[in-house]
Amino acid sequence: MSYENLEQALQAAKNPVEMLRNSQIGPYAFPVVPSEFTNWRDEQRSWRETCALFDQSHHMTDLYLEGPDALKLISALGINTFNNFRVDTAKQFVACNHDGYVIGDAILFHLAPNSFVFVGRPPALNWVQYNLETGGYNAKAERDERSFVNKTGRRVYRYQVQGPNARKVMEKVTGKPVPDIKFFNMDVFQIAGCKVRALRHGMVGQPGWEIFGPWADADRVRDAIVEAGREFGIRKVGARTYPTSTLESGWIPSPLPSVYTGELMKPYRQWLKGTSYEATASLGGSFVSKNIESYYLSPYDMGYGGFVRFDHEFIGRAALEKIAKKPKKQKVTLVWNGDDVDKVFSRLFHAGKFSKYIDLPLANYSTLPFDKIVKAGKTIGLSTYTGYSFNERSMLSLACIDVKYAKPGTKVSVVWGEDGGGTKKPTVEHHNQATIRATVQPAPYGETARVAYRPK
Amino acid sequence: MAAHNLSAVLKAHGNAVKLLRNSKIGMYIYPVVAPEFSNWRNEQVAWRKSAVLFDQTHHMDELIVEGPDAAAFLEYVGVNSFANFDLNRAKHFVPVTPAGYVIGDMIIFREREDKFVLVGRAPTANWVRFQQAIGKWKVRLTHDPRSDSRPDGKAIYRTHYRFQIQGPEANKIFEKINEGPVPDVKFFHVDWIKIGSRRVQALRHGMAGAPGLEVWGPYADKHYIQSTIMQAARDVGVDLALVGSRAYSTNTLESGWIPSPLPAIYTGGGMLQEYRDWLGADSYEAVGSIGGSLATDNIEEYYVNPFELGYGFYIGWKSDFIGKDALTKMKDQKNRKKVTLEWNRDDLLKVVASSFEEGVPYKWIDFPQPNYASTNADILLNSKKPAGISMFNGYSFNERCMLSLAIVNDDVQIGDQLTLIWGEPETTGKTSTEPHRQAEIRVRVSPTPYAREARENYAASWRTKPNA
Repeated sequence: MSYENLEQALQAAKNPVEMLRNSQIGPYAFPVVPSEFTNWRDEQRSWRETCALFDQSHHMTDLYLEGPDALKLISALGINTFNNFRVDTAKQFVACNHDGYVIGDAILFHLAPNSFVFVGRPPALNWVQYNLETGGYNAKAERDERSFVNKTGRRVYRYQVQGPNARKVMEKVTGKPVPDIKFFNMDVFQIAGCKVRALRHGMVGQPGWEIFGPWADADRVRDAIVEAGREFGIRKVGARTYPTSTLESGWIPSPLPSVYTGELMKPYRQWLKGTSYEATASLGGSFVSKNIESYYLSPYDMGYGGFVRFDHEFIGRAALEKIAKKPKKQKVTLVWNGDDVDKVFSRLFHAGKFSKYIDLPLANYSTLPFDKIVKAGKTIGLSTYTGYSFNERSMLSLACIDVKYAKPGTKVSVVWGEDGGGTKKPTVEHHNQATIRATVQPAPYGETARVAYRPK
Repeated sequence: MAAHNLSAVLKAHGNAVKLLRNSKIGMYIYPVVAPEFSNWRNEQVAWRKSAVLFDQTHHMDELIVEGPDAAAFLEYVGVNSFANFDLNRAKHFVPVTPAGYVIGDMIIFREREDKFVLVGRAPTANWVRFQQAIGKWKVRLTHDPRSDSRPDGKAIYRTHYRFQIQGPEANKIFEKINEGPVPDVKFFHVDWIKIGSRRVQALRHGMAGAPGLEVWGPYADKHYIQSTIMQAARDVGVDLALVGSRAYSTNTLESGWIPSPLPAIYTGGGMLQEYRDWLGADSYEAVGSIGGSLATDNIEEYYVNPFELGYGFYIGWKSDFIGKDALTKMKDQKNRKKVTLEWNRDDLLKVVASSFEEGVPYKWIDFPQPNYASTNADILLNSKKPAGISMFNGYSFNERCMLSLAIVNDDVQIGDQLTLIWGEPETTGKTSTEPHRQAEIRVRVSPTPYAREARENYAASWRTKPNA
């Protein structure tokens, strides 16, 4: 059944939770890029030991925003500060609803005076576009859809070069020492005769770069990087491996957009198409509440408290001023108990009861994974993104846990799988739930990452 | 200077085993088709319980052989008898070398008296093309190689689409799309059926005793045919599962065909030397990979003969064909035989568990398809003595079992327990292998095709017998 807009879809469904939990769309798509170039174990090792090349050209939507009021719009929506948001810098833009709950986040590049691009999953971009169209701003927006829903081809390629040898690879491919620019600052490089823009990035405590430019140059630039990286052990990272890098760097890609409730958000729900991410996303996991607001997260819950600046007016500010005084949750990494994971695997070899299969390295089976974290019979948090790290030899999940259980070393359990044998999502086989012990650790978890992967 | 043919590549690497065990091609890919449409567990269940749609459009070469000599030519190149090769019939075509070792296999369709279509992996297509090039046959060849393994978003074109519809409920779908009962054709015979507005050729196929059809036609019709089939399934209330590339290759574990013998062309003079000069430096034979615990300097240890693969009864002894003399001698020797191996779950779990422990793990077993090379060869031991080679792996959710297809010494009996060495002894240059150590996995010999009854009858010894 298709509906004109999200509001209509919600009215037809009994409950937004039920609608999303039985979505037929499958997990978030990482399209076009081959699932493995070599093998996912070595691909994971590359960002820790040598150098990884991520092809991010296909899985994120870009929204270009231009005009005299562009920054005014950005500032009216973002929790971040935009004082001194200079050209050639970027930010992790986070937008909230009126109650201070996260709608989505995106990387926001300041490309030129009054010219910006948001890059990320659709929810933050949809919200920006809606407010532009309804708020009377003197600016215009253009979307470049992710490949999953893009019929005409992408405008730009987007690669990341990451890992301890990333600097050497960049110096080789650009033929000169790389300038010592700060984290999330941009520069212009020449690669294989092509002009590329490079955002200083980094994970695992080493400098890294995100590189982008016109699609026509995509193959040339990539091939040059691969060639230059050969002697430094560069590996192309496939679609199976790529989304697991965040388990070590600690970014949660998949908050539920907090748009399904509230009269104030109703016009937005009417604006969002029936085919939008918000209307079609799949919600999965052991955490089930009839109240969709139980899935909403504040920026503090997600570790974005440091981004919140009350130096400007923005949607959600009043609510966040209250939440700031007493945040409920904290972002942590959960390290899953290997013996309990083994038990889930052992069900592969027994007739009868099956535990939800844990696919390695990425175990998510929905767009929005939400598993409950329990202790002494009580739900104490939400585990929201799950996979395996060969570097850590562990299953890891990113979680928002009640503050009082957030201390590293705290023993908790994650309930894996869905109740009642599972929902109707195509990714879900009939299964029983399993309880898996886990230990709370900081996010980011990677030891070097923990120290150095910090926006300054 | 870059090598321009297989001979030059081999010369540069010194040894065929060394070349292939260090190939950089990566794992054998089933290209273009999405990895999973729903999830691989349910996709496997569907071919046992309801119905599946396999999209076989992309992973196989297609070779058309036509002309007045087409039948005589192919009968000479392959071991098969063409005596009963009527029109609208298909066969499992197997060529061997003059020494009698298997080059590969393809499904061959006779479309006309003078026209055949061959579908399968590249080695057989290459060999047929070579035989045409060096012979004086009146035949014309049209070769459509398989789709690019990593198209990276670029458009893919094939001559034909190719689908299989399989499973216990498949018949209901056929009747719907054909607007009436489908012709009662025999196994491996071809007839025409209707799919929507198109008339298409359909090969009677089947796995695990359930009916199935393979249909093909112009690539431009692919989307129309697929959506018509899917709609028909919905109309008759059959849960038709599209099978993704992750589950697809595991269906053969339940049906028993070994897709990946090494083409036995790396040794031998005369015609084979000429063939290696003819094969390009980018051919399957030059760039394919060998993976597994069998690491020997002698490439011939990876060769298999048609008797070992269970193809002995295909041989047309009345006609003359390449390798006939050698096969005549092999026929009466003690040949190894094809079996299915059921892997011990405790040993498998030991391998899985090593991924959650510090240190060098065992070679990762990817579910449901653990193969990590074009040709797989794992050592089998019986009381520490060589007992055969395990050649193709896959997990079956239907059987809740890791299975592999193997050829074993003729004295090995159903129910015997062997030890499979999993993982490679040496560090190779293959991109599909991470640093790992080897594991011993107990396996129990079962019939091919694999039968559940066998496992249950032998359950006691399977669980209790200590490590061999």
